[in-house]
Amino acid sequence: MIDTVRTTHRLVLALVLAIAALVVAQPAFAHEQAAAGGGLVRGLLHPLSGMDHLIAMVAVGIWGAQLGAPAIWVLPITFPMVMAVGGVLGVLRIPLPMPEVVVALSALVLGAAVAMRLRLPFAAAAVVVAVFAIFHGHAHGAELPSSANPLAYGVGFVVATGLLHLCGIVIGTLTRWPVGERVIQGLGVVIAGLGCYFLAQSLGAVA
Amino acid sequence: MKVRFAPVVVAAALLLAQPQAADAHIIASRLGDFYTGALHPLTDLQDLILWSAMGVLAGSLGAAAGRWLVLVFPIGLLAGLILGRTFGLPMAGPAVDATMILLLGLLLAAAARIPTALLCAIGFGLAVIRGAANASDLAPETDHVLFAAGLACAGYAAITLVMALTLTFRSDDAAPAAAWRGIAIRALGGWVAAVGLMMAGLAFAS
Repeated sequence: MIDTVRTTHRLVLALVLAIAALVVAQPAFAHEQAAAGGGLVRGLLHPLSGMDHLIAMVAVGIWGAQLGAPAIWVLPITFPMVMAVGGVLGVLRIPLPMPEVVVALSALVLGAAVAMRLRLPFAAAAVVVAVFAIFHGHAHGAELPSSANPLAYGVGFVVATGLLHLCGIVIGTLTRWPVGERVIQGLGVVIAGLGCYFLAQSLGAVA
Repeated sequence: MKVRFAPVVVAAALLLAQPQAADAHIIASRLGDFYTGALHPLTDLQDLILWSAMGVLAGSLGAAAGRWLVLVFPIGLLAGLILGRTFGLPMAGPAVDATMILLLGLLLAAAARIPTALLCAIGFGLAVIRGAANASDLAPETDHVLFAAGLACAGYAAITLVMALTLTFRSDDAAPAAAWRGIAIRALGGWVAAVGLMMAGLAFAS
């Protein structure tokens, strides 16, 4: 008798849950806004899918944190805009010299700057970063016109790049502690090493 | 009292096996056009970016300056809708949208302290352009008054909410976190400007 009551209670509970699930059910619009969603996802993933882009963007954030003010706050504000200039060049199909080589070189140079705690004057550091930003933006921008939704693609890759900078700046805050500074310098060595590899690859020295 | 659960379960299962959509007279009474007007801008990324950037700009300038937009922006949307519907003015386009995105992004990134009158002028101009853009998709059978009311309500709600969120995020200027929060808003402006710049390039290229 007790078992029957328990079973019935379970049935009722399951029924109540089923009704609740049906009440809050929403229609599944498969592929709705596919162009916008697809463009956004493609843009978000573009800077993340290329390791050379990814490590260079993180290195920019770390270096900015190492340099301190004003680089640490000027960087996230101006970098996307400078990168967009390169993006426009890519959209307009205006070629840049050896883009793959310079993108690989950016990882090498920025990684080395982090590893050596290179303290350039702000203007010089800004020029270095701006040149690399244009080349990175060019690579992203070249794919923009072919995207299903160019605006969504642009939003995606700008946000992804900004978040990578933020990631680098957060990592860069480790400089407050002596051990953290060593960790960051080690990270700089790794980034520079990967930059060397990508540079050799872009020059055809490595398959 | 003895409750017989089995028949209840069977009856409920039978009911659930044949569900129907509950069209609670909204379409029949044509109130659906209100929701069409309210939801239409939310399906367009241009509207989302421009409205959000406008709200953030208004919020970043403080409540005293920004509160005017709560009134000006919906009125601008209505004006644009009427102009677009009556005269068919093609005010919006990729180049115009990109320029507006770029302008708003630059103002945010530069943390420009623009006068309230200029903020209202920008907000009204943007609203007129986007109102006209939304008018272009009005079907002949759509109830224009309900559509306009929905659009204006959506504009009011979007601007007010985004501005309030920005004001809350900025907090008091004297607060310790105010500095980095201001930088975060400027960085967001940099992102918006970057998107606008690329879209302007794309509009120029095509």
